[in-house]
Amino acid sequence: MNIDTIKKEFPIFDEKIQNNDLVYLDSANSSQKPKIVIDRINEFYTKQFSNVGRSVHYLAVAATNLYENTRTSVQKYINAKDKNEIVFTKGATEALNLVANTLGQKYLQEGDEIILTELEHHSNYVPWHYLRKSKNIKINFAEINEDGEVPIENIEKIITPKTKIIAINHLSNVTGAILPIKEITQLAHSKGIIVVVDGCQGAPHLKLDMQELDCDFYAISCHKMYGPTGLGILYGKKKWLEELPPYQGGGGMIKEVKKDKITYGDLPNKYEAGTMATAQVIAFDQSIRFLESIGIENIIKHEKDLIEYGQDILRRNNSVKLIGKPKNKGGVLSFTIEGVHPHDIATILDEDGVAIRAGHHCCQILHDKLEIPASARASIGVYNTKNDFDQLNESINKCKKIFDLK
Amino acid sequence: MNLKELYQEIILEHGKNPRNLRKTENFNKDAEGKNPLCGDNVHIYLKLNNHRKVEDISFEGSGCAISMASASIMTDLIKGRSDNEAREIIEDFLGMIKENPELKSNILKEDDKTKLMCLSGVKQYPMRVKCATLSWHTLVSAMENDGKEVSTES
Repeated sequence: MNIDTIKKEFPIFDEKIQNNDLVYLDSANSSQKPKIVIDRINEFYTKQFSNVGRSVHYLAVAATNLYENTRTSVQKYINAKDKNEIVFTKGATEALNLVANTLGQKYLQEGDEIILTELEHHSNYVPWHYLRKSKNIKINFAEINEDGEVPIENIEKIITPKTKIIAINHLSNVTGAILPIKEITQLAHSKGIIVVVDGCQGAPHLKLDMQELDCDFYAISCHKMYGPTGLGILYGKKKWLEELPPYQGGGGMIKEVKKDKITYGDLPNKYEAGTMATAQVIAFDQSIRFLESIGIENIIKHEKDLIEYGQDILRRNNSVKLIGKPKNKGGVLSFTIEGVHPHDIATILDEDGVAIRAGHHCCQILHDKLEIPASARASIGVYNTKNDFDQLNESINKCKKIFDLK
Repeated sequence: MNLKELYQEIILEHGKNPRNLRKTENFNKDAEGKNPLCGDNVHIYLKLNNHRKVEDISFEGSGCAISMASASIMTDLIKGRSDNEAREIIEDFLGMIKENPELKSNILKEDDKTKLMCLSGVKQYPMRVKCATLSWHTLVSAMENDGKEVSTES
């Protein structure tokens, strides 16, 4: 598949948004969906629908096979050792809550310490915060440097003998910094520390190789990865998933239920209680195929070129201040304009069909550190082009005109 | 949608140079308001005298042009009013933003009404309505002074 014509695969770009062509720069929030994914949902509900893993009739067996096929595709795509290391969840948020909750129950003792970074999204902070109260554990934040990166030294220097877990994002949804997960894991494992990675922004844009990264857990958000909403994935090393207790109880996750005793199912059923997001899981197989048909190396190159182009344009715009300049950067450009609040920027850009996000992007810790209440963020996906950044810049200039800036 | 209706001269001017952006000395009522979606925050300070009259009103905080202008215009119009008049104006303004096409209160002069109606542009932008109403809800909370923090998401 040719990346220059990839936009054609996404039906939403045929739509006029308030009479404008859509300039979609909000993929870090959620990506648009290619036609093959949308069609697959329709096809499954139209011709093949059944619940999975329960009944023995034809449709149930076929749907179960399709559901499990996605698990195998994900296993291969992220290079996990075993397909049972792939757990479907309702989102990356649930995946991170699952890890925090079960590790908290089984593994953490009062006084233990967890390291997060100042870059973390609220979904990789709040679930750990719960353990402050229930387990009396301590959370330490590794600081960012002036480029908006977290150098490994900033993690290393706050490790203590009580540090049990390091929970970090792969790619910052505000500064775009890509964290050196492999090196952090090596350091952590040398001290017996578990590594949990929030891969929401990493998964759609970076090469995923669990053997190389060697992290213990990796959380994925499928709707940011050209897939359906309502679906996330937790990768966990088998030894952990086997050892940790179940998260939610219900149908499908049990082995045997008696009045006085319950035994739980084997992996991955143990963590998939209740009816799962069946259609979404089955359609996500098409998202993986879509990514594979382009090739992750091509995606990385396309997005790197594009973000450099976008950075150059915005740097030349004298009112725009970019947030962070990490050396290793993914497809996220956050910025402020002196004298114009990000929400006003977003509303004015929207008038031209330019969709960005404004606010703290669920990263209040980071915005407090930067001493700004909010920022504007343009983030890209495979379908973006240089024209999108030209239009962004033009609309920013319109913003400046309305607010009478030079 | 019309950007010119949203970003009228008066709004841009108040947004840039907000009136009463300070902290009232010897305030006797106050409240904080927050919009968790965007991180905007406002802190309203009131000094009500023995005759239930607003001797001074001021605010601190940060936010978009709409929210700063709204707080600025509000504090200008509320200063010097009795608490009953203040309540009438608040109710009238919030009613207008929510559903009424016009302001109804007789205690507002025409040019005061014009200023407030400048904020009616947000009605076309559902995601921005809270920017215009946060300081007003916070003022209600300050007058009741129940110590509760106002959140646009409650």
